[in-house]
Amino acid sequence: MAKPRLTNQIRLLRFLANEMTQAELGERIGLTRQTIAAIEAGKYSPTLEAAFRIARVFGKPLEEVFQWSD
Amino acid sequence: MNQSPEKVGIAFRERIAWLSLTAMVLAYSVYFALAARAIQQGAGTGELIGLLAAVLVVQILVVIAASIAIAICSGREARAPADERDRAIARRGAAAAYFVLMIGMIMVGCVMPFRDKGWTVINAALFALVVAEVVRYATIVTSYRRGWHG
Repeated sequence: MAKPRLTNQIRLLRFLANEMTQAELGERIGLTRQTIAAIEAGKYSPTLEAAFRIARVFGKPLEEVFQWSD
Repeated sequence: MNQSPEKVGIAFRERIAWLSLTAMVLAYSVYFALAARAIQQGAGTGELIGLLAAVLVVQILVVIAASIAIAICSGREARAPADERDRAIARRGAAAAYFVLMIGMIMVGCVMPFRDKGWTVINAALFALVVAEVVRYATIVTSYRRGWHG
C-alpha cells in the first residue's frame, strides 16, 4: 500500500483533550472506534464532512488536524 | 506524549463479512462437490433440489446463529448504524461483485443455453452468484484489513 499522503494529528489532539479515547471521539461525530483508528493510522481518508466534524470537536481549523504531504 | 496506542479489535461488520465469506465458501464447496457426484450417478431433479435446499438451510441457520453470537460479543457496536467507512467499503464490495455477476449471467443466459441444459445451467448460474458473493465479501474484508482510500 502506498504511503498515505493525508496525515493527521488526531492522536496528539486526543491526548491533549484529556486523553479522549477513540470511542469517545467516534461517538461525538458518528463514527465507530475502528474508523477513528483507521483514520489515525492513515488507513482511511475521511469524507470532508467527517474531517470538519473532527476538527470542530478539538476546536481547531481543519488544516491543523489534517495535512497533505507532497 | 506517553499515550499508549489503543487496542483496536475487529469491527463488527468485518466479523460478519468474515462469517459470511467462510459460510459461503464452505457451504457451496460441499454443495458443488456433492452435486457433481450426484449428477454423475444419474441423480434426479428431486435429489438435486433436496441437496441444494439442505445446503441453503444449513448455511442460513449457521450464519444466523453465528451472527447472533457475534452481535452479543460485540455489545453496543452491533447496534450502532454503519458509519461512512462501513458504507464506503460495502459499496466497493458490491461494485466488484457486480462485474463478476454480469460476466457470469452473460455466460449463463446468453452462451450456455445454446450448448447446455438443465442442471448444468442452473448450477452455472448458482456458481456465478456464489463467486460474486465471495468477491463481495473478500473485497470487504480486504478493505477493512488493508485500509481503503475512497
